Amino acid sequence: MSVVPAQQGGGGGGTSGLYDVLELVLDRGLVIDAFVRVSLVGIEILKIDIRVVVASVDTYLRFAEACNRLDLETGAKKPSGLTDITGDMMEKGASGKTKGALSGAAETISGAFQQARDESQSESKPRARRTTSRRKEEQE
Amino acid sequence: MSTYVYGITRAGHPGLPEELTGVGDPPRPVHLVRTGELSAIVSEAPEGLRPKRRDLLAHQTVLSEAGAGGAVLPMRFGSVSPDDEAVHTVLAEREKHYLERLDALEGKVEYNIKASHDEEAVLHHVLGSNAELRALSEANRAAGGGTYEQKIHLGERVAAAVQAQEKHDGQLVRQVLEGHAEDTNPGPESTGWLANVSFLVERDNSAPFTEAVDALRREAPHLVLQVNGPLPPYSFVE
Repeated sequence: MSVVPAQQGGGGGGTSGLYDVLELVLDRGLVIDAFVRVSLVGIEILKIDIRVVVASVDTYLRFAEACNRLDLETGAKKPSGLTDITGDMMEKGASGKTKGALSGAAETISGAFQQARDESQSESKPRARRTTSRRKEEQE
Repeated sequence: MSTYVYGITRAGHPGLPEELTGVGDPPRPVHLVRTGELSAIVSEAPEGLRPKRRDLLAHQTVLSEAGAGGAVLPMRFGSVSPDDEAVHTVLAEREKHYLERLDALEGKVEYNIKASHDEEAVLHHVLGSNAELRALSEANRAAGGGTYEQKIHLGERVAAAVQAQEKHDGQLVRQVLEGHAEDTNPGPESTGWLANVSFLVERDNSAPFTEAVDALRREAPHLVLQVNGPLPPYSFVE
């Protein structure tokens, strides 16, 4: 399963998939009281946290450095808020970015599932940079 | 022998693909258990079933296959009945309710959307739309990056702007897409997304929805939208 690193740049659509679907398999769907539910202790579905901005000195410094490196006058990610931007450039930048995201989405789940099958042998190995599912015992 | 239940469908469901297998190692054959106007999609429940990735995947695959033949109410992973008899009892007791849900979900699929920011692009966006931040940033840059205090000051302001943008964009994603969906439910609680929302969409008419996603990507290139679907309508069964 490809892991989406925290703070990953780029379109990133193709890196979603398996986890994002299994979250629903585990957390949604019909529950019938008369049936027992398999224990989810030790769940192997893992997730990435920390993608939203965390207010901390580290974040502030990181953002300040990132802003320092940003070239606001050029670049595909030039914001629409700048008045001197040309529609043409924006189009190019957006479509380049969108293409990556779109082809990722087009994979939808089948690719992710194949990937999971391929990796199912190594499924018991814990990996760094992941935290366990937030699935809680009391919800069972 | 206990029974693993994948989902509930109408008795009139055209049937499952031959040799469809589900959870377990080796994977157990899947079949239908009929009661009145309903059928449960079941297999033998393997001893010591655990939420292994392979089994989660099998659960999902069975539901996707069955869903192609007609509406299915997907069970949450890991639902085990003591035996087939208990499945009959449950179906009979709540037949009317399940039939009503099956009617509501006929021809519908779920799309789950998770949104986050492309960091560089969102920094561009907030600096681009805020002259004060831009001036601060340029002053720091002119000073070779600025002092520690200047960096903290700029970073704090930028972080606040990005957080405001997260909130704004979370609402934007929901608002734009719910107009193209039959129903909307929040996705499972998970941190890190500025939006995690499931949408109920017509299986044979999903283009307006996916086109709306594409349009949103074009209009807000700092947004990273992860689309998962079409899926069994997990978030719409209750």
